This record gives sequence, C-alpha cells and structure tokens, in this order.
Amino acid sequence: MMVIHGDIKMADLIMGDINILAIIQRLNIPLGFKEKTVSEVCIEHNVDIQFFIQLTQSYRDKDYFPKDHFLTFPVEWIIDYLRNSHKCYVEHRIPTIEKQIIELENNIQNQNSSELLLRFFREYIQEFNTHIEIEEKIVFPYTIEINKSIKDNQLTTTLKKRYSNYHIEDYVEAHNNIEEKLYDLKNILIKYIPPPTTNCKYNTLIFDLFRLENDLKDHSDIEDKVLIPKVHLLEKKLKKLKMEDK
Amino acid sequence: MKIFIGESSYIIRKGIIQLLSQFKEVDIIKEFSTSDELEKALLESSPNILIINTAFNHEDIETAISESEHQPVILHLFNTQLPHDSTKTHLSVFENKATLTEKIENAIYISNENENINDSEELSPREKLVLKHVALGQTNKEIAEKLFISTHTVISHRKNITRKLNIKTVSGLTVYAILNKIIGIDDIN
Ligand SMILES: [Fe+2]
Ligand SMILES: [Fe+2]
Repeated sequence: MMVIHGDIKMADLIMGDINILAIIQRLNIPLGFKEKTVSEVCIEHNVDIQFFIQLTQSYRDKDYFPKDHFLTFPVEWIIDYLRNSHKCYVEHRIPTIEKQIIELENNIQNQNSSELLLRFFREYIQEFNTHIEIEEKIVFPYTIEINKSIKDNQLTTTLKKRYSNYHIEDYVEAHNNIEEKLYDLKNILIKYIPPPTTNCKYNTLIFDLFRLENDLKDHSDIEDKVLIPKVHLLEKKLKKLKMEDK
Repeated sequence: MKIFIGESSYIIRKGIIQLLSQFKEVDIIKEFSTSDELEKALLESSPNILIINTAFNHEDIETAISESEHQPVILHLFNTQLPHDSTKTHLSVFENKATLTEKIENAIYISNENENINDSEELSPREKLVLKHVALGQTNKEIAEKLFISTHTVISHRKNITRKLNIKTVSGLTVYAILNKIIGIDDIN
C-alpha cells in the first residue's frame, strides 16, 4: 500500500481509494482539486497536513493507528472531525438507509419482513440519535470547556456551573458499540430474509449498511482511542487548576 | 473417517480391514487385539466407528468413550450366530460379505449424519426456547427462573445462539425469532 505524503496529487490519492472522500468531507475540504498536491490543498483549507495524513492512513489501513501521534493534535480538531461525521450520518447516511428499507416493501415477497426491518431500523435510529446527542451536547462541550480552562489557566464559568460533577469516565462507561446492530441487520438481510424480487436495490442496501458499519467502527476508534485518552490528560491538568480555585 | 477395531483374532481383524477397504470414506483404520490397548487409544482420540468383539471388556470401553466429545457408532462383533433380535449394529463372524458390507455401509451413513448434526448451525430445541425468551425481552435471570436452569447456563446458551446465528444484539435476535416464527410479531409490545 502506498504511503501517503504531502507531494501526492490529491486527486490521485482519492482516485486510488474512493473511501478517502469521507475524510475530505469531514475536514470540510471542497473538491475540484485540479493538479494540486495534498499539502497544497491542506494549506489552502487550513488543515494540518500531518492530521490529514494520519487520518487517511489509519482509515485506509485498519492495522495502522498511531495513537501517540493522534494525541499530539489539538482536541478541537478531533471534535470538529467527529462532529462533521455525525452530521453526515444523521443528515444523509441514516435517512438514505431508512428510505431504502421503506422501499423494500415492494421488493420482498413477505410484507411482514419489511415492516419488521423498518421497525428494527427505526429503533436503531433512536438509539443512534441518543448516542450522538450525548456526545454533541455533553461530551464535546465539556471537552471544549476544560480545554479552554487549561488554556486560560482558570476554570470557565460554564465548566463550574454545568460540569462540576461530570467526569469523562461517565461517558466511557456508557459509550456502546453503535455499529453492532448494523452488523446484525446486514446479516439478517443476507441470511434470513426471503430473497428479494430484484437484487439490485437489495444489494445496495446491504452494501450501504456494510459501509456505514465500517465507518462507525472507525469513528468509534477515534472517540475511544484518541478523544477519551486526550480528555483524561486534560482532566489531570484540570485537577491542579481545581485545587488552586478552591 | 476413522475406524477402530477391537478383536483378538488376527484373521478376523484382517478380514474386517479387507471389508472396510471397499469404502473410500474410510481413511484411518486402527486395530487392537486387547481391551487394554483399545481403551488406551480411546482415551486419546475417538473414532467415527468402533467395531468391537463382544468378548472385550465393554464396561471399561464405555467409560473411555463417554469421556470423548464425539460418540462413535459402535458395531458389536459376535463370535457366534447372531441372536434373533439382533440389529444392524450387530455383526457375526458367520455372516456373508454382502450382509457385513451392508451393515458397515449403514454405520458409515449414521456416522456422517451425526457429524452433520454436530457441525450444523441449527439451533437445538433448548436454544430455541432460550431465544424465545430473549426475544421477548426477558433478562438472563428471568429466563433462568422460568426454565429452572442457572443464569450461567442461560449465558452459555446465549453465547451459542449468537455464534450459530451470527446475531449479536437482542433486537437482532428478536427479528430472527419473528422471521422464523419462534415468536409472533404481536408478542412484542
Ligand atoms: Fe460519535
Ligand atoms: Fe460514539
């Protein structure tokens, strides 16, 4: 596998692995690269080249995860990246799959099964939304507040007011495998649902589930292996500040 | 397929091996002239079919077999004429080639069947019952109480169910249970 570096043309990199588009989107980099290299594009859009390279490399190669390197990046970058992926899931990926399941009704002989799948998936959407809401409304703001407190060398008011008793461990304990149900759904579609009348739509659905599942695994990896350890480090520093504040 | 022969007579052992050589399914044959030798071998590995003379010490042999994971099909070899209530698992040294061949063929067939059951991903009736309760949303403890088994057993059933079906979540198992009519769609709220 090609090692990614700054002098490769961005378009070539994406042509070589179309999945990298997901990262481009999450870093808010627009397409239309012409002949520009990875570093030129990154500089133009204010993205750290190393951050881009490490994300891409680990996304492509599942055995590659430079945890220590990731920990050196500012926590805001990581949160921005995670937020943008949430946005993509909630606004696009999940509704697309939901629509596909609704359309299955005309596509599988047994109507009960399509109803059942829809029910299963809607339950999943709820669970998914709760999962993301906790991250968006509690974990990320909390992280940003401690980070700010440390930078300013004093506890922010919000931190004192809203998070006086909050600890990242609360999140660690509750952070579940959001992709497991997708794995099951995919498996049920392949093994246990009576065969569809036309395979094309059905296959697209299975393929989309598979992609989302993999994507979420990657996403959770960044939360579990980068965000959480990063917040642990920040909390250690915060402890000192809290002592001084008393 | 592996076959063990327990028979003290050299000539009879060779005769059986000759019969077995007709079957392409048979790839390993081990012969034992005493109960002790056979017992020792059985403790180490178990064959698919065991052909054993009725004069061998059956008690020791049975204990040795009971330890093993796969139960062999046992063919009993009589030095006498067969009793009139004999079954297809009874062989006699007086029987002709065609009859013996047919009985061995039957044993090979049964052994293959057994193997398929062991390998199959079908749920056992017990597992189906546990699955039903899981799909209905009951906890391990509730299931244990209802089925008069320990929670530990419930957990091990659940592990096997998940492994066989490749479905990890409760909602996934519920969908499976409904699709396979283990529970009805109206059974869930
Ligand atoms: Fe997330
Ligand atoms: Fe998450």
